[in-house]
Amino acid sequence: MSEPTAVSPPHKILDTILTWLPRILIGLALLAFIGYLVVYVIYAVQLFRFPFDYDQGEGFELMDTILFSRGEWPYRNNDVYPFYSSNYPPLFHVIIVPLVWLFGPQYWTGRLVSFLGTLITAVAIGYAVQRVGKRWWISAISGLAFLASNYVYHVGPLFRQHMFMVMFETLAVVLLAVTYDREERDGRRHNKMLLGVMVLLLAAGYTKQLAYATVAAVFLFMFLREPLRAIKWAIPFAAVTGLIFIWINWSTDGYWFLNTVTANINPFVPGQAEGLFRQWFRLHTVLTVTAVLYAIYQLYFERISPYTVWFGVAVINSITAGKWGAGESYFATAIAASCILTGLLFSRALNWAQRHNTDPAWTFTIHKPVLSLPKDSPTRPEPAEGFTIHNFLGKYLYTAVLLLIPLLFLIQANKVFHMPTHTPALAAIARALGKPAEVYIAPQTSCSAPRDPERIPYVDSAGVSLLGRPPNAQDTAAGEQITAAILAGDTAAFSEDAGFNLRAVRDVVTNPTQLLNLYNNNQVDLTEMLAMLDNQAFDTIILRAQFYPPPVLDSIGQQYETTELVQMNGFVYCIMRPRGGNQ
Amino acid sequence: MTKRQLGILFILVGTGAALASFALDLLGGGQFGGIGPAQQKALLAAGFVVLVGVTLLPLGGKPA
Repeated sequence: MSEPTAVSPPHKILDTILTWLPRILIGLALLAFIGYLVVYVIYAVQLFRFPFDYDQGEGFELMDTILFSRGEWPYRNNDVYPFYSSNYPPLFHVIIVPLVWLFGPQYWTGRLVSFLGTLITAVAIGYAVQRVGKRWWISAISGLAFLASNYVYHVGPLFRQHMFMVMFETLAVVLLAVTYDREERDGRRHNKMLLGVMVLLLAAGYTKQLAYATVAAVFLFMFLREPLRAIKWAIPFAAVTGLIFIWINWSTDGYWFLNTVTANINPFVPGQAEGLFRQWFRLHTVLTVTAVLYAIYQLYFERISPYTVWFGVAVINSITAGKWGAGESYFATAIAASCILTGLLFSRALNWAQRHNTDPAWTFTIHKPVLSLPKDSPTRPEPAEGFTIHNFLGKYLYTAVLLLIPLLFLIQANKVFHMPTHTPALAAIARALGKPAEVYIAPQTSCSAPRDPERIPYVDSAGVSLLGRPPNAQDTAAGEQITAAILAGDTAAFSEDAGFNLRAVRDVVTNPTQLLNLYNNNQVDLTEMLAMLDNQAFDTIILRAQFYPPPVLDSIGQQYETTELVQMNGFVYCIMRPRGGNQ
Repeated sequence: MTKRQLGILFILVGTGAALASFALDLLGGGQFGGIGPAQQKALLAAGFVVLVGVTLLPLGGKPA
């Protein structure tokens, strides 16, 4: 009986290992990112079923949609009851209007649209990589890596317009790249496609103001290629954008400008910006470093692509995450761009390595002083001073790259680790991966005494986060309890969340952060509001984070007292009633 | 646009940013006398942009 080694020379075993190991790693990388997609869907479905605010701004976006569904503008006078206005452009809400007509004012409508927007973004990223790289698994992981980002996961399925803006931005830049590639290939202009880019940019800007950075990136890229053409397109684009702006401002008696521009001039918190930049880099190290390397390569060795310009501008613009009221989602555009650049670099590296696998120029010569073979060696090709191993470097270079890329994707997957662990199966997976199955976080209090940390069945490498944990039945029950408190009275509640009044079919009163922004810019007259509070005109006050302007909080403190504390989604809500029992 | 022109653009932007950070002082912005921490970081970033611009100059007429 012969030994296995006798029929399987060592190099054959090595070849077998080197054939299968990359496949296994690629399979694991795909599995990891598909796993994140599953986790994302679990979180999204749980959110679709939750009928209250998960993030404080959601109810106000629903309120904007309701107003649009009635044919009304949400850009209003904050000085008079119900002291409500929106600070966001209209497109996201207008798109959801048909769903509100069909199904009523439901949170799942906007959450679904935002969630679908992130899926479209991921597909666009995958397409951008695939059309150049032609490596399906790299393209797939590049798209999935976007959805696997902690930031995208946290915000993607919320009733917030931010990720929908990122979708339009991504589609615009991908279409720009396709347009320029096609123009260079065909040798003629494709102005209709470029018009499509402009429409997508306009859509992004009228979804959220932050899209200005992508608009700048697109025109900067066009300027690099053909300055005159960039100017020719910029003028009508600015004119159309401006005309829409003026029309809305005219239609709303100037409240559009006040609420979307003036109210967004918030103080910059350098520590917040620095902390978020550090966190972004820590969580997305592989994507970011790879994107930067590719950008540097393009800067010095070839023409700069639209993705590189977009990435650079988006990273610089992420500094605005340091504004009060901004946050991690401001990095989503940079993450989308980095996913594309990473996919492109990895595909190119792999294609390059494969090409050189059969390139005679990549033979490797070892000279005698370094290594000598026995005289009777059958593998000795040349009797000269040394010997040449044909394609040695090429063969192993390709294999090395093929090993390295999935390995880097796996490192990236580990960096963004996040997983709800509310079911035994998910908890078991987390433990099997060497991660904790639960964390302890103190509920966030503002209007009540601090509380001890509680067990939270959600793990996130981003750290302590109130976003990401799927809401549960207790959270829904808590929301119903607060709604019942409103229904016990006759008036709408003066509430920091819109969801409770919406559930109780009462007026949505106030948009606290908007009021605070306007107050800080001396653009709101609180006289009527303070008079109503002083007269205890509201049966119920509901506080969560005390975002109201200081005079409002003072008045509430004087006229109302806390009667009930209810915890929902990791926040302790204070339910307050008029002092002296004047209900 | 060429790599050299792009380099010049980088130098102009970097220089402009550095000057703007000083201009903010003239307009009464900032909380620090002299060069504050945020201003230091801005100047560092502006210097980096200028440096990148300088390294692009030798690439000459290659398309950017």
